[in-house]
Amino acid sequence: METIYGYAGKIARINLTDSTVTDVPITNYVPKYVGGRSVANRIFWEEVGPEVKAFDPENKLIYMTGPTTATGIPSGGRTVFTGLSPKTLPEQYTWSGMGGWFGSELKFAGYDGLIIEGKAKEPTYIYIEDGKVQFLSAEKLWGQYVHETQEMLEEIHGKDVKSIVIGPAGENLVRFASITTANDNAAAKAGFGAVMGSKNLKAVTVRGRGKIVPADIPKVLELRKTMNNPPMRLNPILNLEGVEAGANVNFKVPGGVKQAQVACCYGCNQHCDRMFLDVKSGTSRKKKNRVEKCVGIFAMDFTENCGWMPNQTFQTEQNHSAPCKTLSGDMEPPDMTDPYAKDLFNWRPADTVNFWKGNYDKGNVMMDLCNQYGIDKWEVTVGLFPWFSMGQKEGVFEGMDFGMPIDVESEEFVRYILDMLVYRKGKYGDILAEGMARAVRILGKEKYGDTIYHGRYSNVIPGKQLDIPICMETAWGEIFHWQGRGYQAAIDITGWLPCSLQLMVSSRDTQTVAHFHSTWDYYLAVKDDPYHNRLVPQAVIECETREDIKDSFTSCEWQAPDHYWPTMECEMFEAATGYPMTLEEMEEMAIRSRLTFRAILIRNYGRDREMEVNAVYPGLTYPDSVGLTADWDDWNDLVDLYYEERGWDKKTGWPTREQYEKYGIKEIADELEAAGKLPG
Amino acid sequence: MEKIQEEYGKISEKYCNHIVQYPPEVSLCAGCTSCEAVCAMVHDGAVSPSLSRIQLERGTVSMIHTIHACMQCRDHPCYSACPKKDKAMCIDEKLGIAYVNQEECVGCRLCVKACPFEPKRIRMNLDKPRPKAIKCDMCRTRPNGPACVEYCQVRCIGKSEDPVPVDDRGRTQGLF
Ligand code: SF4
Ligand code: SF4
Repeated sequence: METIYGYAGKIARINLTDSTVTDVPITNYVPKYVGGRSVANRIFWEEVGPEVKAFDPENKLIYMTGPTTATGIPSGGRTVFTGLSPKTLPEQYTWSGMGGWFGSELKFAGYDGLIIEGKAKEPTYIYIEDGKVQFLSAEKLWGQYVHETQEMLEEIHGKDVKSIVIGPAGENLVRFASITTANDNAAAKAGFGAVMGSKNLKAVTVRGRGKIVPADIPKVLELRKTMNNPPMRLNPILNLEGVEAGANVNFKVPGGVKQAQVACCYGCNQHCDRMFLDVKSGTSRKKKNRVEKCVGIFAMDFTENCGWMPNQTFQTEQNHSAPCKTLSGDMEPPDMTDPYAKDLFNWRPADTVNFWKGNYDKGNVMMDLCNQYGIDKWEVTVGLFPWFSMGQKEGVFEGMDFGMPIDVESEEFVRYILDMLVYRKGKYGDILAEGMARAVRILGKEKYGDTIYHGRYSNVIPGKQLDIPICMETAWGEIFHWQGRGYQAAIDITGWLPCSLQLMVSSRDTQTVAHFHSTWDYYLAVKDDPYHNRLVPQAVIECETREDIKDSFTSCEWQAPDHYWPTMECEMFEAATGYPMTLEEMEEMAIRSRLTFRAILIRNYGRDREMEVNAVYPGLTYPDSVGLTADWDDWNDLVDLYYEERGWDKKTGWPTREQYEKYGIKEIADELEAAGKLPG
Repeated sequence: MEKIQEEYGKISEKYCNHIVQYPPEVSLCAGCTSCEAVCAMVHDGAVSPSLSRIQLERGTVSMIHTIHACMQCRDHPCYSACPKKDKAMCIDEKLGIAYVNQEECVGCRLCVKACPFEPKRIRMNLDKPRPKAIKCDMCRTRPNGPACVEYCQVRCIGKSEDPVPVDDRGRTQGLF
């Protein structure tokens, strides 16, 4: 048999309704769509129509690896789920990324991905061993926490298996339930854990004894040393006096903190995740180890928001470094001979928010419970508990009985609320399980969502009060992220404006796989009037193209892109598959993927200009950390520029037939035309 | 630090130079699995945990991972058990370690049985028309030495004969 390089060769279509499995050749989609999210977009476009709801058996949960997964190329271990999300408001097609070892193991077992469809009659889990797929009873696993489920699966099938599992939250259709794999890696933001729950699917467990053959091993080994210059240094467990996580979360902990760094996914050459050792658990008396990236740190202390340094977003050739290095503490020291160094490293302090004080045990319990129940830490850390904190200070909960007095400083309260919502106990448990965006609408958005919190203060203009609603919601049911207000608000307008534009045309928070990055030249050019400068939409489109590249090839948000090595993923792809790919070809593939995604949103969920402009704009009327707000006309001028740069119709926001045809997907244009969804 | 070094020194009376994992106080395994990936790549031109001579025993929940590679016993019971010794299981006179010549291996698994460790440090390569034994050969023909050590990003594994590394940023100071 001819060797296929990079890919495993097929996707397993797993139908839970009738317990059947069909092999779908990867070549049905490749090379037009390279892998990962791009292939998933195409599958969803072809297979799921507008009438389907998130918890319907007809919804499909698609899981894809990329051609670099399991090839030993760093960051190839990243993988992606897509499907109709119960978390987004309204329900829309979206994605959720995951690291870990599961994707590689799946490829060793012979599959590049999974299409999970239908609904099992009884609680079920899927066991895949070297190309053989079995449907097994999950009766004993149902109700178990995430970690216990993983351990039970290892007891049944042996220590070498890799699993993706849901916890009680997914079973109970909590709309922000996560899917979790090893090393605390989770796909959480889209609520796909609840989609698994709706299908009565507790877990997928894989054992693969096969191999993946990279086409060019010397090149793979070279990439291991050149991709973001791996530190190759010791990783001792540090005994720290307290939490020392950047400038904003710093507090002493009695007894100290044990901390080290770990990698998230198969074959990575970096270690950006922080591991806290021997911490308090939410579910057992035994101490635990836990992994955090950024947001979980704020569970421990949310007095101040997260600050910002321009160099995080804007780079020069002399001063640029992958984000993974910031978290591992391996950033090269700033090159101060750079004429812009002073401005690049000019720390912009975060707002004071006073949500809760430093408490290591409480923060660890909160995050361990999120892991164990299988819920999105984001929703809990920057959505739910800040809402309780702000709402209580503004008196909105007066007369409401949650069954326990509101006290976000108390571990008991955290345990109580999370238990209540995960098991949908009582009226409020059921409401909060719907996620912040839906919950405040059920309760009454004007009071429970839009009431202004008067406790946010600028530290850029000391003492300036900055209004923020108690529910820090931006578009699509998400919480603000790098948008100048809400979480990580310190970024200035040259950053939060493009971040908001990215969010507008997406269906969920994009600042996870598409953090806005550009060059310092961009910053200098747009800073005086970012609403009327084409560089802004151009930089956004560049980030969006890079987003599709990362999630398709696959590479990692924390390693890519490197503005000064734009062909990195081309080289990764060629080393994995043996096929040369130019930068132009790679970008063309990414834009094809993006148009397919756009077509799904337009055909299935009524996406158009009006819908997306109105979804994002209201949040921008709240002040950023220096008090700036967006003006309706300015915002619309920028949206015009974005559509123009994309070659999309400005009135509807819909891509034109020419655009679809230019990128080789005429059939999508034909179908949209038949549905009346091509611009006239 | 001296204590740790001493411990490895003791081991070497019974075992030849072999791959060791340092205690987490020196360097915690990051769980990246690069060691497994590169080992299979440099030996068999593919990525596969089944082809890797070094095995990572993963702590899915604890996130503490343990590596297992051949201890390179000085009395090499695997070599003694091999019915085709010096053709299939051979001794590298210079290093004193046993290595497998896959071409000659008949796939009888007697070496696997003879390995005194659990998990077994010799495994069968099932990717060939006939099973072949595979074990760590310390990358004896690689000019750069053991690939797993070269590519371990946190230098938590090394050769037992080498001194325990000291953190290049001085972070281990005061840890012992
Ligand atoms: S020394 Fe070489 S053969 Fe032995 S485990 Fe490491 S990479 Fe594999
Ligand atoms: S390469 Fe090093 S850090 Fe990575 S899994 Fe192997 S021993 Fe652990």
